[in-house]
Amino acid sequence: MLLEALDGEETVVLRAGAASVQVQVEPVGRWFEAYVRRRNRNASASFQELEEEEESSEESDDEEFQLQEYPVLRTLDPKDWKNQDHYAVLGLPHLRYKATQKQIKAAHKAIVLKHHPDKRKAAGEQIVEGDNDYFTCITKAIETLSDPVKRRAFDSVDPTFDNGVPSKSEGKENFFDGFAPVFERNARWSSKKHVPKLGTMESSFEEVDNFYSFWYNFDSWREFSYLDEEEKEKAECRDERRWIEKQNRASRAQRKKEEMNRIRTLVDTAYSCDPRIKKFKEEEKAKKESEKKAKAEAKRREQEERERARQAELEAARLAKEKEDEEAKQVAQQAKKEKEIQKKAIKKERQKLRTTCKNWNYFADNEAESVKMMEEVEKLCDRLELTSLQSLNEVLASGSKEDSKAAVEQQVREVNAQLQREKDAEVQARQAARSAEQASGGGGGGGKGWNEEDLQLLIKAVNLFPAGTNARWEVIANYMNLHSTSGMKRTAKDVINKAKNLQRLDPLQKDEINRKAFEKFKKEHSSVAPSIDNAVPSERFDASGSDGNAAPWTTEEQKLLEQALKTYPVSTPERWEKIAAAVPGRSKKDCMKRYKELVEMVKAKKAAQEQVAAKSKK
Amino acid sequence: MAAIGVHFGYTCACVAIFKDGRADVVANDAGDRVTPAVVGYRDTEQIVGIAAKQGRVRNAANTVVRVKQILGRRFNDPETQTHKGETKCQVVSRGEKPYYEITAGDHPEYVAPEDVAKLIFHKMKETAQSALGSDVSDVVITVPFEFAPNQKRALREAAEAAGFHVLRLIHEPAAALLAYNIGQDHTSGKSHVLVYKLGGTSLSVTVLQVNGGMFRVLSTHTDHGIGGESFTQALAQHLASEFKRTFKHDVSSNARAMLKLMNGADMAKHSLSSLGSANCFVDSLHDGIDFECNVSRARFELLCSSLLNKSIQPIQLLLEKAGLSASSINKVVLCGGSARIPRLQQIMREMFPDVELLSSAPPDEVIAVGAALEAGLLVGSDSFVLEEESVTVDVSAADILIKEVDESGAEVLTVLLPSGMPLPARRHHVLSGGGKQSSLCLDIYQRFVMEQPEQLSKIVFRDLQPSEADHNIDVVVTMKRDGSIHVSCVEQTTGKSEVVTITAAAAAAAAAAS
Repeated sequence: MLLEALDGEETVVLRAGAASVQVQVEPVGRWFEAYVRRRNRNASASFQELEEEEESSEESDDEEFQLQEYPVLRTLDPKDWKNQDHYAVLGLPHLRYKATQKQIKAAHKAIVLKHHPDKRKAAGEQIVEGDNDYFTCITKAIETLSDPVKRRAFDSVDPTFDNGVPSKSEGKENFFDGFAPVFERNARWSSKKHVPKLGTMESSFEEVDNFYSFWYNFDSWREFSYLDEEEKEKAECRDERRWIEKQNRASRAQRKKEEMNRIRTLVDTAYSCDPRIKKFKEEEKAKKESEKKAKAEAKRREQEERERARQAELEAARLAKEKEDEEAKQVAQQAKKEKEIQKKAIKKERQKLRTTCKNWNYFADNEAESVKMMEEVEKLCDRLELTSLQSLNEVLASGSKEDSKAAVEQQVREVNAQLQREKDAEVQARQAARSAEQASGGGGGGGKGWNEEDLQLLIKAVNLFPAGTNARWEVIANYMNLHSTSGMKRTAKDVINKAKNLQRLDPLQKDEINRKAFEKFKKEHSSVAPSIDNAVPSERFDASGSDGNAAPWTTEEQKLLEQALKTYPVSTPERWEKIAAAVPGRSKKDCMKRYKELVEMVKAKKAAQEQVAAKSKK
Repeated sequence: MAAIGVHFGYTCACVAIFKDGRADVVANDAGDRVTPAVVGYRDTEQIVGIAAKQGRVRNAANTVVRVKQILGRRFNDPETQTHKGETKCQVVSRGEKPYYEITAGDHPEYVAPEDVAKLIFHKMKETAQSALGSDVSDVVITVPFEFAPNQKRALREAAEAAGFHVLRLIHEPAAALLAYNIGQDHTSGKSHVLVYKLGGTSLSVTVLQVNGGMFRVLSTHTDHGIGGESFTQALAQHLASEFKRTFKHDVSSNARAMLKLMNGADMAKHSLSSLGSANCFVDSLHDGIDFECNVSRARFELLCSSLLNKSIQPIQLLLEKAGLSASSINKVVLCGGSARIPRLQQIMREMFPDVELLSSAPPDEVIAVGAALEAGLLVGSDSFVLEEESVTVDVSAADILIKEVDESGAEVLTVLLPSGMPLPARRHHVLSGGGKQSSLCLDIYQRFVMEQPEQLSKIVFRDLQPSEADHNIDVVVTMKRDGSIHVSCVEQTTGKSEVVTITAAAAAAAAAAS
């Protein structure tokens, strides 16, 4: 609720208001945008006023422009409208393609006011009836220019446009004056705005590069539909329309191509004439050259450096080697000298020992002993080291005869013991070597031990399967594996090697083996016999005893046995008595035993053969 | 016209598109509306987003996080040194500038922070364009209020390198206000808004004055020490101690296990914003032992109580600095992912009991939405480029008041034109006087903050026809840019008018001199 005014009060301004202050605000929001837009337009009014103003400015923005009267307007033939300059008709020849849509509208309005047939009729002018009046030209002009597509088509073939391209010779003489206006002129066809300028001699490389890349990729909106010979709209049917369209398209494409060629020629000419390009090229070349030079220089320097380093290294290596050699030589000399000294010393000591010993008469009483002692002393001289010799000599020099003798004898004992040890060691080594040899040689391929039994078994097997048996060595190996007590598995190869080894052995050794085998056999089989055997080895002993004759079967006996076995078949009563009778010197038991052995042998033989056959089959 | 708004944060980036008058956040190819601002370098590729974040467990040395922290800073900047100490990726100096040393390939590579930001921007651009279906590149990017010009430039360059056309960089709190359409509907009135942003690694509180549709930052406070990651850290520590209690293994020294635990804690934290309790499950955390733990919301709040207090503290200080009280705040806007924490919202509500708490939009997306709205505004008004980084406007220095009487007959001052109005400004009021009176008097006062009002002018209407109805007077107050005031009053029934022009002090002095 407002206050009531007191008497005498009047509308008055008492004081000035506070000045505005400036503060920072966040650049966001629509109010901010509106504010900044206003400020940019330098307006200072309140919101509504400004918004209204904005509206009206659109209308009143039209700047004043003069219309230029077209002197031949009245004489134009409306039928020939296509070849007329529509801008000139509307009185805008000075603006042409730069005229805004608004200006064109305004110009049309003005010109219609002046040239409309009704107006002229009112002014008392003679009017040509129908379409033949020149006013039709104005209608056509506004028709063309108010439609953006049609206007562009007309602009494209603007009769006042100079399509000319400066020639090379012209360009060379005065490049910038010659080309700048041409490029500016053609820039109007660019679909992109902000066409780069040709620039001056001082333009940077980027500018020039940008300029040429723009013009080489020039995107022109110029098109040539205005020059179409036939009008599509005039066609009477679809086919005709299509045909016209095709014709037009072809001619337009042709013209467009020509236009692109024209631009291309222009840019090509400019590029070839451009003094700046030449300058850049030269600069580039110079730069490259200098870079190359610098590179070569750097390379050379590097090489030199490397060479020098290598030389230095070699020199150092050589020096080091020389020094080393020198040192080695000195060391060698030193060593030699020392050796010589030592040798001399030893010699001296030895001499001393000998003389001392001699002086003591070799601590011996008789001749023989002294000779022996002499030998021993000589041995000592040979064997003892310098130091021990020295100490010995000292003892000899200082001590009495007994002491000396004891010392010498002790030394002699020690030396002898040493010699003995060495000898033993040698013998042992030799033995070891021999045994190793035996082990490797005797074992054939695998170094498997062959004990007596195995050897025996091998000999037996070899005899059992004579040469010519099918897969003889496999069979033998199998036989061995079956019968060996040592449990070692032997291959055919092992067996062959051993057999060959045995063959190579001198007959003496073979005999030895056989004998050994026999002894063993005897040991095993006859617990009583040995004494008898040993006592009378030459006597034939009739084996009527419980044990029977353990002597091996001779071939003759064998034959007799076989004959007897055949003569008396299994069914014969008292068979074994009869067989024993047939074989002289053998008891019934012997024969049975022998038979069993034979049967076993045959069985084993068969089994071995079968196994090998099976293996080979596989 | 479509446009893009990008919020590029320390931990996460979010993109929104403005289309058909609406701004919406776009989900990325992984289906998330917020993309972690993490770039992982492998020997053949660079990965951006959630995959990089998860791959950090294995590839910590070649994964760049929080790149915004050193963007546009020099190597010897203390912030850069802090970042160097915190990140697991090597930071080296090359020509005074920080670079990341990436050792994914055969040779160590040096990557500028701008390049990392570029990759993230590229990802955001792809996300936006796949949603729009066209290659719109006009973008508005948000920056923190305290960003220095160098940092802004670096960010702008990174965005441009990614193929964006940057319309403008705007401040995050302003974007948040835009997203809630504060001060955009009508221009009258002056209000104060508090923008509380608790992001992944930073807390920023800003008080803005909204007047005449424009935002003005009164004071701001930023703390890089607290954020969502601090909460996750606290939770992860708790989980680690739980693990130690159960399995007698100390995982706190195992960097990879801790990273796994952090990821697990992060998920649990997110679900705790909506659920009363959450399960945290980490496969093969330590020595092949799987870890499972249930955390209740109360437990989480207990763990974070000191952190929460710490994140609330700056508000009071800030208000004092701005010379405002909690009651003079009209609106509170919550943004940043951690503003989702229910306890935090509750504390805020207790702090500002009569104030509208704006948290209806997802807080981590609000800023991107605001940026998109601004982008939509800018892309509509074509070819308008703001040259300078900061914009100053003329505003009125004092409240313009008129003296009236209320029903009880006491004199009151009514504000015709508040201080801080952007100029030029115009306000229209209809004042009424008693119908029985034959004369009316309009006393115009001006009042600076905390000062006695002083009278500027007196406008008197005489010879009014006393009637039953009240006399209505249209008062239009217009203030020009220099501060001069034009008051025109028209009595509605009789059409009588009075006009006064009060020149501004500076202008008056100039007039007197001439």
